[in-house]
Amino acid sequence: MASKGLADRLYLGEANLNIVGRRKMWFGIFGALLLIAIGSFALRGFELGIEFAGGTQFVIPASVGTQAEAQSAVGRAVETAGVAEAAGIGAAQQVGKGGDAVYTVRTAALSQDESTAVKNALVADLKVSPDDISDNRVSAAWGDQVTQQALLGLGIFLVLVLGYLVVRFEWRMAVAAVMSLLIDLVLTAGVYSLVGFEVTPSTVIGFLTILGFSLYDVVVVFDKVQENTRGITGGTTQTYSEATNLAVNQTLMRSINTGLVALLPVGGLLFIGAGLLGAGSLKDLGLVLFVGMGLGVASSILFAAPMLAELKDREPRIKSHNARVLARRSAARSGDVARTDRARSGGAGESEEAPALAGSTPRPGARPAAKRGTTRSGGAGNRPSGGQKRR
Amino acid sequence: MHPGRQLAVLGLLFVILYSLVFFGPGAEGSFTDRLQPKLGLDLIGGTQATYVASLESNGKPPPPGNMEEARKIIDQRVNALGVSEAEVVIEGNTNIVVSVAGQADDQLKNVGQAAQMRFRKVLKAAGDNAAVAVNPPTANPSASAAPNPSAGATPKASTTAGPKVSAKPSGGAGGQGGGERAPSPSASAPAAAPSAPAPAPSTSAAAPAPVTADIKEQRAAIEKKVGATAWAAAEKLTAPVDLQTDPTAGLQFKAFSTLTGDEVNALTPEMQFNVPTISCEQLDKRPNGAIDAIDKQVVACQSGAKMFLDVAKVVGTDIDSATPQLDQQQGQWVVSLEFTSDGQKKWTALTREAFQPAADDPCLTAAQALSTGATHCLVAVVLDKEVISAPEIQGVLSGQSQITGQFDAKSAKELADQITYGALPVTFRADATQSVSATLGKKQLQAGLLAAAIGMGLVAIYAFFYYRLLGTVIFLSLLLSGMLTFGALVVLGRTTGFTLTLAGIAGFIVSLGVAADSFVIYFERLKDEIHEGRSARAAVPRAWVRARRTIISANTITIMAAVVLYIVSIGAVKGFAFALGLSTILDLVVVFLFRHPIMTMFANTKAFMSPRVSGLGRAMKQRVSTDVKEA
Repeated sequence: MASKGLADRLYLGEANLNIVGRRKMWFGIFGALLLIAIGSFALRGFELGIEFAGGTQFVIPASVGTQAEAQSAVGRAVETAGVAEAAGIGAAQQVGKGGDAVYTVRTAALSQDESTAVKNALVADLKVSPDDISDNRVSAAWGDQVTQQALLGLGIFLVLVLGYLVVRFEWRMAVAAVMSLLIDLVLTAGVYSLVGFEVTPSTVIGFLTILGFSLYDVVVVFDKVQENTRGITGGTTQTYSEATNLAVNQTLMRSINTGLVALLPVGGLLFIGAGLLGAGSLKDLGLVLFVGMGLGVASSILFAAPMLAELKDREPRIKSHNARVLARRSAARSGDVARTDRARSGGAGESEEAPALAGSTPRPGARPAAKRGTTRSGGAGNRPSGGQKRR
Repeated sequence: MHPGRQLAVLGLLFVILYSLVFFGPGAEGSFTDRLQPKLGLDLIGGTQATYVASLESNGKPPPPGNMEEARKIIDQRVNALGVSEAEVVIEGNTNIVVSVAGQADDQLKNVGQAAQMRFRKVLKAAGDNAAVAVNPPTANPSASAAPNPSAGATPKASTTAGPKVSAKPSGGAGGQGGGERAPSPSASAPAAAPSAPAPAPSTSAAAPAPVTADIKEQRAAIEKKVGATAWAAAEKLTAPVDLQTDPTAGLQFKAFSTLTGDEVNALTPEMQFNVPTISCEQLDKRPNGAIDAIDKQVVACQSGAKMFLDVAKVVGTDIDSATPQLDQQQGQWVVSLEFTSDGQKKWTALTREAFQPAADDPCLTAAQALSTGATHCLVAVVLDKEVISAPEIQGVLSGQSQITGQFDAKSAKELADQITYGALPVTFRADATQSVSATLGKKQLQAGLLAAAIGMGLVAIYAFFYYRLLGTVIFLSLLLSGMLTFGALVVLGRTTGFTLTLAGIAGFIVSLGVAADSFVIYFERLKDEIHEGRSARAAVPRAWVRARRTIISANTITIMAAVVLYIVSIGAVKGFAFALGLSTILDLVVVFLFRHPIMTMFANTKAFMSPRVSGLGRAMKQRVSTDVKEA
């Protein structure tokens, strides 16, 4: 079994990665990332798209050519006028039909001088009369109210989901799950702020999609944790952290799989959106989803589970249980071996924190000991938590 | 439940959905037309309507704050139409541009409406006799010499005039109301010019003169137009000219029938009401906002009757909320109103005034003229220039009240929405609607679909690689949810106006990926069970029970997010929430009605456990080998 590669061990949920044991490190890393993200909000802010910030709209007669030509003409004019760094260019749109048809092209907000310069450049470029081209300020289409209401919705959702998770799991799990969700959201926003990706309505929509997805992963992990730790205080084989780590390892493949399966289509979007089309909704959505979902998978494993273990270890019941387990282990180490754990043979994967305890600590990758254990009375062959019992 | 039965339910769902797609309401045209979902503004273009704000009385555009306020309200109204992903922007200083997907001229007709709600007691009423007045049935030249004196007997009405009226309130003759009788300031603004080629507006464009002077000038111009005699006679009128006793009495006012809406608006309400040749048609052509002024008495028309209305004692802002309701007894649509606590007091006072009118109140006469046998006064419900209804007040109303009128389900909802979202702080004039092209067009749509294909392909490859033949189940269910989603989109596009933008397409692609997640959870569970040494037949139901719990929890959270966002948010976010909820529910349908029964059936075959076939055998083999070691 020691000869099995990582892939095989992952496949069988026996990767033995000590994740929960290193929680201080993960908290440190996530804490630092959060600080960077929040610092970036404060210092750099966000690069808001035309839909949020408003812009300048140029109206060009349709006689100049196709929609795409009009758009690239404005692009050239913006460069000629020397305001390129400030001006993102929206997609051209044809208004009206027949001889009166015009194209409208929006750029980021320009000052009066800048927009006159662009207009002049357009006139020179397209060889039309100055009267044919007009420029106008346009307001944001996505008003503050949309953002406010979306944030309000987010707040209500967080409260509700907290309540749901308290009922479905328990309050510590609920807190850890919601914290992990918040971290996802803040870090995703942080990536946008730091890199300076433009924030468009598509970005916001994608951002909200992360909500459900991020919790999905956490629920999968916590479900397993709950299963593994049911009745844990009845025995003395595992501390809560170890049981949690076991659950993480058992669900690791699941998390990687779900993450991959969800990220593959997003990757397709991103590839097509950014690679073939250059810009637009597809790229915006693909990007935010890719970043957010990736972080979601990572934080459900690396943050939510360690955070849960941290919170649970403070619970008096679990605290005394942990103490009992450790006491028993030290007794075992001193030679008074009461019961040899029946974890499957193979020496790989001791927990780093307690290398000397190899004999009695179930390897993180092992099945819950109770399964074939003799101490539990759950009925032969029953997993510690039969689904039927919960229904 | 027997697996076959679940599959049968799924099949039935499919048949129902796709018969709706092909034969449901709104399905028209060729085979491919019927399969067309409603695409969004960015993909197929749509209709653009421009609303031009009236300038303020000083000739300046409305303040930006008011424009933004108006933009928000219009945005809400457009969204309330069920048109998702509409774009509403302010262009320049005075224009609000609304763009929606597809042909929507009808839908956009009223979104620029100010929606100023006013409740006014009906003081006087008269028929719209303009046609008769201009062309009396029998010419009797001798009668046209003098205005009918017998009609001018009721000067009482004007004693209830607004507090700001400084001129002699009861004066039947000369200068009645003076300049202060100007209707709302915006009505006289020069922005109304395009609809009025009359000379009047040109004067106000240049100088931001006080309204009174402006109105005086307009009146002078009108006096010139109708002739001094007619003007003087009109000013002397204190009641509608009685055409029944003298059919030709209206002839001297003939020139008034040529006035434009703007010119009519410049006249005093008394004149608008009393001069018989001013028709309802002319009154309806008054500029938007003409009778909005709360503290002025106004003239309005309803079904061919001119009504002289009191100052507005209850207004739209006194209403807390409005909802459309189907009155079960009458079988007709009404709009039910909840007043604010302050508004309720005002409303109760107004209804008391109408229910128990003072002895000298002319409103009772008016009520009887409009509806025979009325024993109480009427209160007109006025929206902008239109009298929606003028019911007789049957009691002092101290609670919820209803507006009745000629409503159907749609117009009742429209009115309720307009009241709920509030009145626009700026008056708008609708410009022509135009078609707009797609911003992204075919290329982007194709790219999006290509991305979908690539994404799905990758998922399928991964599934086959990892789960071997079980990948087929994943692939089939993805195909199935894809088809269900598509069918639902087509049907919803027709029935609720749900539009599919490029972002929406991307969202559905992603949701298919997330749907595939629930497989992974199930299969990994299955692997666990087999790893523990269960037979396939035993493992499938056990894995199902456990995976179901996880899947339901996870999907509950997503549905919660969708429902909360759908209720709370507005605009594009609402559309997104709808899509999220839809795809999650369809995912659950596929999980319960397809995957589970298929797996149950699959588990009974021999091939299921073969490592080469299912990918699950690997787990089993390991288990065997470890057991051997342990043994």
